[in-house]
Amino acid sequence: MFDYQFLIEVLVGGLLSGVMYSLVAIGFVLIYKTSGVLNFAQGAMLLFAALTFVSLVERAISFPLAFAITLAIMVVLGVSVERAVLRPLVNEPPITLFMATLGLSYVIEGAAQLLWGTQVHGLDIGISDVPLDIAGVFISRFDLFAATVAGSLVALFALFFRYTRTGLSFRAVADDPFAALAVGLRLPRVWASVWTASGIVALVAGLLWGARLGVQFSLSLVVLKALPVLVLGGFDSIAGAIIGGLLIGAIEKLAEVYVGPLFGGGIEAWAAYVVALVLLLVRPSGLFGQKLVERV
Amino acid sequence: MSAAPLTAQLSPGAGAFAIVVGAAIAFGAVPLFGSDYLMDAVLTPFLALALAAVGLNLLTGYAGQVSLGSAAFLAVGAYATYNLHLRLPQLSLIVDLVLAGLVAAAIGIVFGLPSLRLRGFYLAVSTLAAQFFVQWALTKFGWFSNDNPSGVIDAPVLSVAGVTFTSPAGRYVFSLSVVVVATFLTLRLLRSQSGRNFIAVRDHELAAKVIGVPLLRTKLLAFGVSSFLIGIAGALWAFAYLRTVEPAGFNLDRSFQILFIIIIGGLASLRGAFLGAAFIVVFPLILSRAGAALLGGVFDSGVLEMSQRIVVGMLIIAFLIAEPRGLIALWDRLWRVVTRPAAIRNT
Amino acid sequence: MTAMMTNAGILALEAAPAEAAARALAIGNAGDRVHAKVTDRADRPVLALTDIALTFGGVAALRDIDLAVAPGEIRAVIGPNGAGKSSLLNVVSGLYRPDRGQVWLGERAFVQVPTARLAAHGVARTFQNLAIFKGLSVFDNVLMGLAHRVRAGFLRQIIGSPRARRIEAENRAAAEDVIGFLHLGDVRERAAGSLPYGLQKRVELARALVARPTLLLLDEPFAGVTLSEKLELSEHVRNARDRYGATIVLIEHDIGVVMGLSDRIAVLDNGSKIADGTPDEVRADQTVIDAYLGVAHQDVTELAV
Repeated sequence: MFDYQFLIEVLVGGLLSGVMYSLVAIGFVLIYKTSGVLNFAQGAMLLFAALTFVSLVERAISFPLAFAITLAIMVVLGVSVERAVLRPLVNEPPITLFMATLGLSYVIEGAAQLLWGTQVHGLDIGISDVPLDIAGVFISRFDLFAATVAGSLVALFALFFRYTRTGLSFRAVADDPFAALAVGLRLPRVWASVWTASGIVALVAGLLWGARLGVQFSLSLVVLKALPVLVLGGFDSIAGAIIGGLLIGAIEKLAEVYVGPLFGGGIEAWAAYVVALVLLLVRPSGLFGQKLVERV
Repeated sequence: MSAAPLTAQLSPGAGAFAIVVGAAIAFGAVPLFGSDYLMDAVLTPFLALALAAVGLNLLTGYAGQVSLGSAAFLAVGAYATYNLHLRLPQLSLIVDLVLAGLVAAAIGIVFGLPSLRLRGFYLAVSTLAAQFFVQWALTKFGWFSNDNPSGVIDAPVLSVAGVTFTSPAGRYVFSLSVVVVATFLTLRLLRSQSGRNFIAVRDHELAAKVIGVPLLRTKLLAFGVSSFLIGIAGALWAFAYLRTVEPAGFNLDRSFQILFIIIIGGLASLRGAFLGAAFIVVFPLILSRAGAALLGGVFDSGVLEMSQRIVVGMLIIAFLIAEPRGLIALWDRLWRVVTRPAAIRNT
Repeated sequence: MTAMMTNAGILALEAAPAEAAARALAIGNAGDRVHAKVTDRADRPVLALTDIALTFGGVAALRDIDLAVAPGEIRAVIGPNGAGKSSLLNVVSGLYRPDRGQVWLGERAFVQVPTARLAAHGVARTFQNLAIFKGLSVFDNVLMGLAHRVRAGFLRQIIGSPRARRIEAENRAAAEDVIGFLHLGDVRERAAGSLPYGLQKRVELARALVARPTLLLLDEPFAGVTLSEKLELSEHVRNARDRYGATIVLIEHDIGVVMGLSDRIAVLDNGSKIADGTPDEVRADQTVIDAYLGVAHQDVTELAV
């Protein structure tokens, strides 16, 4: 007989890790909406943040202080990246900017490991991984915690960009940078706040992923998990990032459990990409992306 | 000749003389007098990477379609050659190479199909699917590696018509011959109408369509030929250079490496592909020597790898900002500075 | 009778329905009924639009447009910004699919013109925002105008089969001819992207002309060029018609240049055709004066003051 309880377990597990994909994806969307850049270095930033935090904690600095210091470093990093790398390339085609962030990810990854070493650091954020039994369905306590944190952060950003002045300018810039400039919005300030936000995302996501996988080089590969999410949701939609993340999380787990055995397992690496690809062929700008009419 | 940007790349005046001298050095002097280390650790990997970069440059530099999945096609070429050699031993190695290239081309065309509807990032992301899928398949299915548990394959002896190429010099000459022929044919293609179509599609897709450039055929041709070249480069990489490869050797970093070669060397320039490949091969060697000399024991392999990442990353950014046409543009400028005073003196 | 063939969304009426074309011509020449009787081959319109309507999300871009362009004519379509000129050109080149109506290219009618086969149907166009291939030399840009004629496969092109070589040689000769005609010889090997704007416009014109199109569509050819370049360019356009026999449809919002250059002028306003006739007729037309020169608006303001 088909085991529905197991199905639900898999589904919930998938959705919970999906929330974390959403979090990483939102880091991309924020920057994409304002600067038109797919910031491939997001993964490297995540690694850098997690490594910095762990290394500080290992040097007997308290959690809150280490968090504050890392956050400050991430903000400085984000703002200087915006200044030094993106601003000189502001009128270049998007794909050039993308390649620049690819180079940037190499710089940040190299710097992070040169600074803090290449060994794997454990990160214990004090959540036991004893599964929770809810009506016979086992749910990882850690996943639940991570999803809650990620979910609240996502909600916080959504509120921030909807109701604050900076949020309003953000949406104006995303809509039409030239018009925003013309009515006197200060683009650099919007950019700086966006990079700050993506720094926060990198830090929080880095800690959550780091606590689960260990803080190490492969953490920067989380970026590769976020890409199909972006494709699915559209690069320019926060709602798309959230729903895309949940979808990819669920699809990945379900595919691995129910379809994987047909192929001998291990399909997690590409299942999300194939799903995203198929969707792209039907809807070239994702589920929620803006469809741009090309003017001739 | 027409194709100004192409002919401009082949420095005028140098012409046939340079080709003859170059061939004499590459095919004669180097294998005769070069050290094994030079050929084994420098020139052979350089040739394989250069050919891969020629392939990617055709797709990305000329036809404007960004791919992050080059390593997948290197792997397809390597594993296809291995299997053709293993399972159809009656075929000549040259035939194996060409067939392996065609297998890579076929897979390239399949993964190139989305390019008809996608562009920019969306296409770049979709080429990642090729990267992950191929790596997974080669690890997962033992058939590809003749049931080696970790997917490792060992290169057969390179031999064509009874002549074997086992020594470092032999493997170098073999690679060189393959790369020269492949590059020559690529140059011919780029100078034909198909080559102009690539650039037209890159520069203004709509105008190209209105003129009657067959977009579907042009893009798939770019994906096919590009994957063909990269596939053959993969066979060289596996059989002439490393001689033992595993799927993990064709990871995303390798794809990025080839992309970086063409950015640093120069997009839409075949000479740039060679210059960029030379840089990527030689630069770590120089960096490790320099690092060891300056810092001594502190400069271990870990530090070397990280500082290499940093420098390569910074170079990418620097080139994109300051000289998007890459090393080859610097080279040409230098060449003009060197030759111009001479020209004035002669007149 | 007309035979209808639906082919991948393209409606092609193969047999020559002279009546429909003539009707378009007749409507196109309100007040000039003579043309209504003309059905012989030579005077069949090169381009005819019948009853074209196009909306974008409920906003009408074109309303019931009829237009007939006679062979050898230089036909201008003018109108203020947003009048629907670009939409009209994009309908003719198949970039937009009209909600209603047909586009006749010679004897063939289309609901949506197949853009990819435009060149094969003898139609070439330029774009308002330059659409040259920046990375190609001027010569290669011009050569690209003949891309649709190269049928040899890429392997033949690499090897250089006799057929591929012959076509290449013919194309080069044709490109050489246009380059001379438009005085581009001095810059033929320069990368097109490195040329000044006016020259780039001329390169685009050359690329459109090289295939000797029966119908040449020019999308605001005079936008953004200097006055002397305008005069030069309009001379080139006239020569293009005289020497290459192309029928020319150009859209433009600058009335000045157009008056001297065009044989006939159609005026669009707000998606509708409000006048169609010789430059003199159009100049004297009260509706045109009101709509285009904004006299009506002035009246209103004067009254308000």
